[in-house]
Amino acid sequence: MLILLRDRGGLAILFLMPMAMITIMALIQDAPFRDYQELKIPLLLVNNDTSTLGRTIENGLKTSKIFEITQQKQSEAAAKKLVKGGDYEIGIIIPANATELLNAKVNQFVSKKLSAAGLSDSVPATTATVTGDLNLVIFFAPDTKKSFKASVLSTLHQFTSKLETQTLLDYFSKELSKNDNAAPAQTQTKIDDLVGFKEINTVETPQETLQLNSVQHNVPAWTIFGMFFIVISMAGSIIKERDDGSYTRIRTMPGSYVTVMAGKISAYLFICLIQCVLMLLVGIYILPLLGLPTLVIGNNMIAIAIVAISCGLAATGYGILVGTLFSTHQQSSTFGAVSIVILAALGGIWVPVYVMPESMRMLSEISPLYWALSAFHKLFIGGGTVAAILPYVLKLLLFFIFTLSGAFLFNKTKKQ
Amino acid sequence: MSANAAIHVNRLVKTYKGADHPAVDSITFDVPKGAIYGLLGPNGAGKTTTISILCGLLVPTQGDVSVLGLSLKSQLEEIKKRIGVVPQDIALYPTLTAFENLQYIGNMYGLKGKSLKENINKQLEHFGLIENAHKFVGNFSGGMKRRINLIAGILHQPEILFLDEPTVGVDVQSRNVITEYLHEINRAGCTIVYTSHLMEEAENLCSEIAIIDTGTIIASGQPKALIAENNSANLEQLFLKLTGKKLRD
Repeated sequence: MLILLRDRGGLAILFLMPMAMITIMALIQDAPFRDYQELKIPLLLVNNDTSTLGRTIENGLKTSKIFEITQQKQSEAAAKKLVKGGDYEIGIIIPANATELLNAKVNQFVSKKLSAAGLSDSVPATTATVTGDLNLVIFFAPDTKKSFKASVLSTLHQFTSKLETQTLLDYFSKELSKNDNAAPAQTQTKIDDLVGFKEINTVETPQETLQLNSVQHNVPAWTIFGMFFIVISMAGSIIKERDDGSYTRIRTMPGSYVTVMAGKISAYLFICLIQCVLMLLVGIYILPLLGLPTLVIGNNMIAIAIVAISCGLAATGYGILVGTLFSTHQQSSTFGAVSIVILAALGGIWVPVYVMPESMRMLSEISPLYWALSAFHKLFIGGGTVAAILPYVLKLLLFFIFTLSGAFLFNKTKKQ
Repeated sequence: MSANAAIHVNRLVKTYKGADHPAVDSITFDVPKGAIYGLLGPNGAGKTTTISILCGLLVPTQGDVSVLGLSLKSQLEEIKKRIGVVPQDIALYPTLTAFENLQYIGNMYGLKGKSLKENINKQLEHFGLIENAHKFVGNFSGGMKRRINLIAGILHQPEILFLDEPTVGVDVQSRNVITEYLHEINRAGCTIVYTSHLMEEAENLCSEIAIIDTGTIIASGQPKALIAENNSANLEQLFLKLTGKKLRD
C-alpha cells in the first residue's frame, strides 16, 4: 500500500486517465444515443430565391435546429465540391425562380381541380410563363449512410409538404371565398408534390459508389488502432533498456541518439506494416467468408503504402515519447493504453466522427488516428489520390517529428 | 597537463539539479597512458559521477576534460569510438543469445562480417563461454553475465576502458579471470579506469589510484607509495584512515 501511495505518477494515471476516458467517451457517444433531431448537421445552403419560398425554406431549416447552416452563394459545381470534400454533410441549392415556379404550379393545380369541380369560371386562367420542374438540389457527402440520408430527406420533405399544403390552402381559400358554391370535398383530392428534390450524386468514380459499411469502416479503423497499440510494447522496451543498463551502454557507443532510435523505429515500423497488411487481408479474404462485405481498398497501392508508413511512424514516435517520459513499465503501459483508446475514440475508430457533437468533431482533429483513418477513407471509399491524402500524411509525419523531438529534448534535459 | 596523459581532468565540477552540494567539487587529475587507474571512495563520494562524465553520459557543470587529446565538449563522438565502457549494471539483452548481444554491440562500433564473428568467438573462448554462445543471456549465472558484460566493452579494442565495479557479485573464479584479462589488455597498451569497493582487488590491480571523498580527491598516487607514506598495512587500512569509519549514505 505504501509503495503504491509513493508512486504519485502511477496514482495520477490510475485516477486521471479513467476520468478523462469517461468524460470523452460520454461526450462522443452522446450523439449516437440521442435522436437525430438533436444533432446539428453541417449544411451548406445556397438560396438563390429571394422571395417567399426561399425565405420559408431557409427559416424552416433554421428553426428545425437539426442543421448547422452556413449560407453561401456558390455555383452547383462549387457546392458539390465542398460537400464531397467533407466541409459539409449536406448541400441544398434553392433555384433562383423557385417562388415563381411554385406559384405557377399552385395556380395550375388549383385551376385543374376547381375546373374538375365545375368551378372553372371562378378561377382566372394561369398567365404564368414559368415552366419546368421545381427541384431543390441536394448533395450528400460520399460516406453518408443510406439511413441517415433517408432521415434527412424525410425531414426536408416535411418542411416542403407543409409549405405546399399551406400555399394550396391559402390559394383555395382565396379562390373559394369568391364562390360560396364551391364544394369543400374537392380539397380532399390527393395533392401532388409541387416541390421536388433532385439529389445530385457527389460520387464520380465506381469506387465512390461504395457506402461506408461495417467492413469499410472497421477494418481500416482497427488496423490503425492495432498499429498504435505498438506504443505499449515499444515504450516497455525503452523502459526495460533503461532499467537494465542497456540504454546506458548505448549512450556510451558512437552514433547519435537519432541513429540509435532509427534502428528501433525501423524494427517497429516493419512490425506495424506487417500488421497493417495482415489486417487488410483479413478484410479482403476472411470477412467475406463470414458473410460480411469484402473490403475494397482500390488500386492506389502507393498511396496506401504512404498512409501505412506515415501511420506506423506516428505510432512509433508516440511509443518513444511515452517510453522516454515515464519511468516505470506500469506507468507507461497504463498511460499508453488509455491514451490510445482516448485518441481512438476521438479519431472516429469507434463512432464515426460525423455523428459526434460539434465540440467532439473539432477535438477529433487533434487525433493522429483520425488523420490516418481519414486518409484510408479517402482511398478506400473516396477513391482518392496521393494529393487527396497529402494533408493527413503531412500531419502524421509532423506528429512523428514532434514526438521524437520531445523525447530527444527530454533526454537531453535529463543528461544535464 | 602531462603529454603522457590519456585523460586530463581540470577543475571538474558537477552539481545535480536541486542538490545543495556538488557531487564532484573542482577535481583535477591526469590518468597516464597505459595505467590501470583506480577511482576509489565510499558510497556517494563522486566516483560514478566522475566516470559518467568521462564517458559522456553526464554533462559537467564546470571544468574541462580531454580524453586521448580530444575535448569532451566538442569531440565526444570521436572519443566514444576509442573508449570502451563496462557499466556496473548487466547491460545486456536477456532475450538475445550471448553471440547476438555481442554482434549487436560490435555492429554499433562499426565492426562487421567474418572478423567480428572471429573476434566474438575468440573472446567467448577466452572467458570460457563458447559453449553457451548461442544460449539466451537471461538464463546465464551472475558470473557469466559479468564476463559477457566485460567482452561487450572490449570487443572493439578500445584505447581506454572504463569499468564501474566490474567484479561486483561474482565468484572468486570469475573475478580471477576478469582481473587476469584486465592485466593482459593493459599490457597490450589499453589504459584502464576502474572503480571498486574491493580494496584488495584494487591494490593488486591498479598502478595508480585516486581516493575521492565528498566530491574531492583526498589522496592520489601509486598504491604502495601511498600506503607507505601513511604508515598503513594495506590499501583498506589506508582507505579507512583517510575517509574515516563513519557510515555513508
